[in-house]
Amino acid sequence: MNPVVQTRDLSKRFGRVQALAGLDLSVAEGEVHGFVGPNGAGKSTTIRILLGLMRAGGGSATVLGGDPWADASALHRRIGYVPGDVSLWPNLSGGEAIDLLARLRGARTSDPAYQARRRQLLERFQLDPTRKGRTYSTGNRQKVALVAAFSVPAELLILDEPTSGLDPLMDAVFRTEVAAAVAAGTTVLLSSHILSEVERLCDRVSIIRAGRIIETGTLAELRHLTHTEVAFADADVTPAELAGLSGRLPGAQDLVAGDGRVSFTIDGAALPDLLPALAELRVQGLTVSPPTLESLFLRHYGADGEGQSDTPGASPDQLRHER
Amino acid sequence: MTSAAGTARAAITPPPATAVPTLWPMLRLRWRRDRVQVPVWLLSLGLIALLSGIAVPASFGTVADREALVQIAVGTPSILMLRGEPRGPAADALLFFSLFANLAAAVAFMSTFLAVRHSRAEEEAGRSELIGATVASRVVPLVATVLFGTVAALGAGAVVAAALVVAGLDPTGSLLTGAALAGTGVVFLGVGLVAAQLMCTSRGANGLAAAVIGVAYVLRAVGDAGGTPAADGLSLASAWPSWLSPIGWGQRTRAFTENNPAPLLLALGCAALLVAVAVLLQSRRDTGSSVFAERAGRPAAGALLRGSWGLAWRLQRSSILGWAITGLLFGLLAGSLGETVVDLMEGNPVFQNVLVGLAGGPGAIIDLFTATLFSLVGVIAAAAGIQAVLRARQEEAAGVAEAMLSTGLGRIRWLFDYLTVGVVAIALVLVAAVAGAAVGLLPTDAAADRIESVVQAGAAQVPAALLLLAVAAVLVAVLPRLCIGLSWGLLLAAVVIGQFGDLLDLPDWVQDLSPFSHTPVVAAAEVDWSGAWWMSALAVLLAAAAALGIRRRDLAG
Repeated sequence: MNPVVQTRDLSKRFGRVQALAGLDLSVAEGEVHGFVGPNGAGKSTTIRILLGLMRAGGGSATVLGGDPWADASALHRRIGYVPGDVSLWPNLSGGEAIDLLARLRGARTSDPAYQARRRQLLERFQLDPTRKGRTYSTGNRQKVALVAAFSVPAELLILDEPTSGLDPLMDAVFRTEVAAAVAAGTTVLLSSHILSEVERLCDRVSIIRAGRIIETGTLAELRHLTHTEVAFADADVTPAELAGLSGRLPGAQDLVAGDGRVSFTIDGAALPDLLPALAELRVQGLTVSPPTLESLFLRHYGADGEGQSDTPGASPDQLRHER
Repeated sequence: MTSAAGTARAAITPPPATAVPTLWPMLRLRWRRDRVQVPVWLLSLGLIALLSGIAVPASFGTVADREALVQIAVGTPSILMLRGEPRGPAADALLFFSLFANLAAAVAFMSTFLAVRHSRAEEEAGRSELIGATVASRVVPLVATVLFGTVAALGAGAVVAAALVVAGLDPTGSLLTGAALAGTGVVFLGVGLVAAQLMCTSRGANGLAAAVIGVAYVLRAVGDAGGTPAADGLSLASAWPSWLSPIGWGQRTRAFTENNPAPLLLALGCAALLVAVAVLLQSRRDTGSSVFAERAGRPAAGALLRGSWGLAWRLQRSSILGWAITGLLFGLLAGSLGETVVDLMEGNPVFQNVLVGLAGGPGAIIDLFTATLFSLVGVIAAAAGIQAVLRARQEEAAGVAEAMLSTGLGRIRWLFDYLTVGVVAIALVLVAAVAGAAVGLLPTDAAADRIESVVQAGAAQVPAALLLLAVAAVLVAVLPRLCIGLSWGLLLAAVVIGQFGDLLDLPDWVQDLSPFSHTPVVAAAEVDWSGAWWMSALAVLLAAAAALGIRRRDLAG
């Protein structure tokens, strides 16, 4: 099966800034693909190339089997998009903007099915469609774009940090709508730096850094790359017993004792050997946490401390925010 | 590669093969957004045409009146510069001569503002990204802007033609006048669209387009001022520079006399070329990029950026510099052309007597000439000031003023910082114009006298500009949501009343409403400065009213 989105060695340069440096991204049909990375790593630039808003500097990109730059119009009928920073027309109401965008994607706004869908979404997102664009808050502008994107069926939804302005209740509505769209056969590319959201929603994740994908796979696959964290109360555990424990488990790392807790990390595969040892020690308050996306992320970005320093600093999207 | 549509799951209906109509929704979006603005432009243009179409034949009823007027005009380059190319004493020809160039400049501004508003401004705000991700994609919005702008230009032409016919003028000439205006409109629509491709901000694009309009107006003005008069002194043939100006092309139709539509082909060709360039650039470049890219900013704040005044200056210094350069160029033009004018007249016995009798000596003629051009510099200075104080409102609407006012900064201080930047802008424009004129006058006889007169002419423009600036400040303080449109509208009204009050035969009390009517005229032997004093006093009072107003109201988004 052909991937819905496929890029090979994609590159893009803005003046002296190399925004993308050989990006290989592959999004399979029907999946929710998380696109994760810090500000300025190249997420929005990639998305703009996939939407034909920008032309690739080098490499190739295929979206729904077409060339995103040359076939932009034809492809956009099949794509829903929510930008990260939604700007609306100051003297148009939210409802007008939603209908306009729907018409521009080929929907008939007089169609009862569209109207019912629109009404349902407005209700769920608690959005007042009669207010003028200039009076909406950031979150409400984002809701307008979300309603517009979800109100017309799409084969591919491209969501660029779609929930950065939403409250937790609306976040839950958003996740329900994404799940409904996926059930109907939509593929979703979700760019985000809210890692808990990606963990809850995504089947597969690609981590981007400095314009390259540095890790890609299912969360389970990515979790194999890092260690499970084990912690327990240190009462009744003598230092000698602790030393014996680490002797029996050569895979244990970063052993720390303090604040009444003992914690260390261990390879997931070594867990079955660990449990009897812990039982022997009769440890209290045991927690065994699988690696979070955050720990994965920090491993790539935080650990060596250069995560921020080598990210391209000035994607056009950032420039716009600063103006 | 197989089509992904074929492999999509059944629940997503593959899109039908019919094309999505995107052009029509994009056109409707433009109309929806401009449904007040564009009709106001059209009605204003129509009203000016109607009033002058009625007033000119009424004020200059006899052929003798008109012959006298046209003779004076033909011999006075400053009149020619501000009006056009006189073509005989017929009432309708006189109207076309006095009205066309200025109406054409107004239509040009309507078109460039429209073009930038629907292209670069949308891109700058990020809305073109929302549209670009739909089927409309990158080029359809531009095509919609071209169509909408063309309709607006044609509308302007039609409204003016209709107004002239209603005023009782010859229908063929009226129609050609309208067509010539529409032609100018589409050329400047193209200018605006190309400027929007070149510059990365809408301010920059509007500024570049306005500069092109200014150049077009001045080229035409120079062509008219340097034109060859006919032997009877009742008509003139413009010199070659007016062929370089789109406004000049419209004027060359010589509506009501020769009725020659051929020069409009130049306008159509030029418009088509500009639109093609804009479409080509648009279809090749990234959304949000521009031909002239934005430079990187300085990493830390400079010494001047230490408060709200520093911010107001920092945000506007480049546009104020642009206004000042415009003032400098006008000054240079006024100063350097003065003597040429006198030379021309002295070489032409037909007008020499008329004019020397009128103004009292060659020195006085140069003074009158510079005073006329300085009345335009006064308008430029007022516009620079108004733009500076309106920036306060733009900052407020964009939400950045909130950040400033939540610091220790008081509101009155905040507004007055923008107001004083406006005062500085006015001063810089006038100083630049005076300096330019002085440089131009250096080689003339009795240069010291002429320069003194120019300094006075410059100073005379200050009070009217300050008054309009203070009015804009009061509007910012009292009517935040309306102040931008109202302020520019008031400036436009003041210019129309001040420059065309006589032509439109407006009652004295209406003419007295324009500050420019009270600007001292420095060409007379005894200059009456009384208007200057009371306008300055009124400006101070209004500034105080603005201070009261800004303290009382809520911040408005």
